Amino acid sequence: MALAFRGSAREYFRIWAVNLCLTLLTCGIFSAWAKVRKKRYFYSHITLDGTPFQYLAQPIPILKGRIVAAVLFSVYYASGHFFTALMPYVLMAAMVLAPWVIVRSAAFNARYSAFRNMTFQFDGNYKEALKTIYWLGLIPALVVGSMFQWWGNLYAGSALFAFFGFIFPWWLRRLKNFIVSRTAFGGEHGELSATGGQFFKVYFLAGLIMVVAGVIAGVTGAAVFASLKKSLYAFVLVSLPVYIGYVLAFAYVQAGISNLVWNRTRLGPLSFESTLRGRGLAGLYVSNALAILASVGLLMPWAVIRTLKYRADHLRVRQEGDLADFHGSETTAVRAAGAEVGEFFDMDLSL
Amino acid sequence: MNAATATLAGLYYDGCRPIGAPATLVFAGKGAVLIGAQISQRLATVELRVSPRIGRADRFIDLPRGGQFQCADHPLLDRLPQEVRTEGVVAWLEQRVTVAIASVAVILSLLAAGYFYGLPAAANYIAMRIPIETEDTVGRRSLAWLDENKWFHPSQIAPDMQARIRQGFDELRYGLPQASHCRLEFRDSPVIGPNAFALPGGTIVITDAMVQTAESPEEVLAVLAHELGHVERRHAMRHVLQDSAAAVTAAAVTSDAASLGVAVAGLPAVLAQTKYSREFETEADDFAFQLLRRRRLSPEAFATLMERLTRKQQDAERAFAFVSSHPVTAERIQRAREAAKR
Repeated sequence: MALAFRGSAREYFRIWAVNLCLTLLTCGIFSAWAKVRKKRYFYSHITLDGTPFQYLAQPIPILKGRIVAAVLFSVYYASGHFFTALMPYVLMAAMVLAPWVIVRSAAFNARYSAFRNMTFQFDGNYKEALKTIYWLGLIPALVVGSMFQWWGNLYAGSALFAFFGFIFPWWLRRLKNFIVSRTAFGGEHGELSATGGQFFKVYFLAGLIMVVAGVIAGVTGAAVFASLKKSLYAFVLVSLPVYIGYVLAFAYVQAGISNLVWNRTRLGPLSFESTLRGRGLAGLYVSNALAILASVGLLMPWAVIRTLKYRADHLRVRQEGDLADFHGSETTAVRAAGAEVGEFFDMDLSL
Repeated sequence: MNAATATLAGLYYDGCRPIGAPATLVFAGKGAVLIGAQISQRLATVELRVSPRIGRADRFIDLPRGGQFQCADHPLLDRLPQEVRTEGVVAWLEQRVTVAIASVAVILSLLAAGYFYGLPAAANYIAMRIPIETEDTVGRRSLAWLDENKWFHPSQIAPDMQARIRQGFDELRYGLPQASHCRLEFRDSPVIGPNAFALPGGTIVITDAMVQTAESPEEVLAVLAHELGHVERRHAMRHVLQDSAAAVTAAAVTSDAASLGVAVAGLPAVLAQTKYSREFETEADDFAFQLLRRRRLSPEAFATLMERLTRKQQDAERAFAFVSSHPVTAERIQRAREAAKR
């Protein structure tokens, strides 16, 4: 099945400009409407086998979600800057709320995404989300521990951080698996067969890229400082390899994790083939950044469109069975999705 | 509803399987007929719901019994009942190049106005109405943190010297609106070197190295006058307000770039924060020069001290010293000299 992104930079520029202008004029209130318009544009211009996707969310639940997020963020901010005594309670409340936010926003996004008159679904619950993100109690231990300075010395804390850094790929696999296996279309749930070891490999190689960049920076640094002493050139010469290494490693992780997750995902009769390349993504990031800088931000819409195009060009959907395996039901009806706007907790918490 | 006779060709989705069936929708008067290979359905146009126009994408018509019809955009679709009414206006605006150009002009002027005038004025207005006591806990905590983590050590300055500086400081702050909140602390800090800070809540810290660098009591008082300027003008609070507002605005404007993993998304906020910090320094300088003259002290002391600090920094020959050397220091010295002449 052919996947294509048919958006054009000119068209999206107009949408971006009008919606950003209205958002600024209304002090941010219009941002909910702007989000709907932008998402609608992206969804409507991604076609699978000739049919565009549909974004069905209404602005009011998004606005509600944004107001809630703004209130929560203000509380967090105020406790950090003015009422520091409240900080531990705020952090604890944030940890209790985090799984709920993840579940709600995944459910919202799935339910308001539709393809061929059938919506997606996300049926993960709070308990599962809690178990997934607080696996082994690592994050709570890190947060609460650093809050009350439980570890007598710095070494225990650093060891815990290092352990978390090491185990992070396995943690990420659990998170991705939670999202994929709880997402459904037409009664078929996604299945992820990637292993933690495969995630680790991606991060390990990215780490190697950083190490190589660090070594090159160190060698040039030593050479340059011996001859040039301090100057702006020397500074640039030393930081350049580090920066290049960072961008390459970042792009490599993005490409590697995307490929891994898509290539190991099955959704009913469908499988996927993602062929992103770290070097390609890095080139995209750098050229986007330069274009945006040089145009004082005016090329931002162009950068968004070409990135989406690049990503769509590197993703293929393979049909290995009958599409009739997907069964629509009352809950996946597009009309039902639009009708439930009244529900109080129906809000979009993803930003 | 005044839909004339028209025929739309497209695909029909029944909502049970994600498979499209070629079909045509024929409009005649107040009704329509859906005709496909295996379907033939009579519909009233009032029961249809059309998805909003977006770009040049295909649009969808929701049918009464759960079906859906996909077809290319057509002027007729705007005359049918719409799924969302409010988006029509926005969609109309989005199609016009002139509107887009006008929007960009409005965006740029709004951002420039906020950056140069609106945000600093608003932060000033709000900060002046929040009592300085709200900053107390934060100020005290940061000093305690700096003490505990060995950034600061107890001062080695002789007690009689400290007493003399304190007396000068008391004379300096006498009668200022926030005088009762200003507290002077001496600390030794080999890491930080010659420096002075105004912490939130009105605590002013001066390092031993700074006291030793100064060659006269007037020079120490010139530095303290500058720090008093930060306290009186509520720079701690304004910093928090302006930086957070700038960060939120920048995040809203660059949200698209942030989703691309482009590192430049944070740049506008950093630029704004740098600009505002410099403005605060200039404001504190001006405050100091005025205060010094009112106390019959000369701002010249500020200039000589700044010159000596700059020279010291150059002597230190630290690596990357060029990064921290302020190109504006010369300007600050010149302004102090001008203030002294008046």
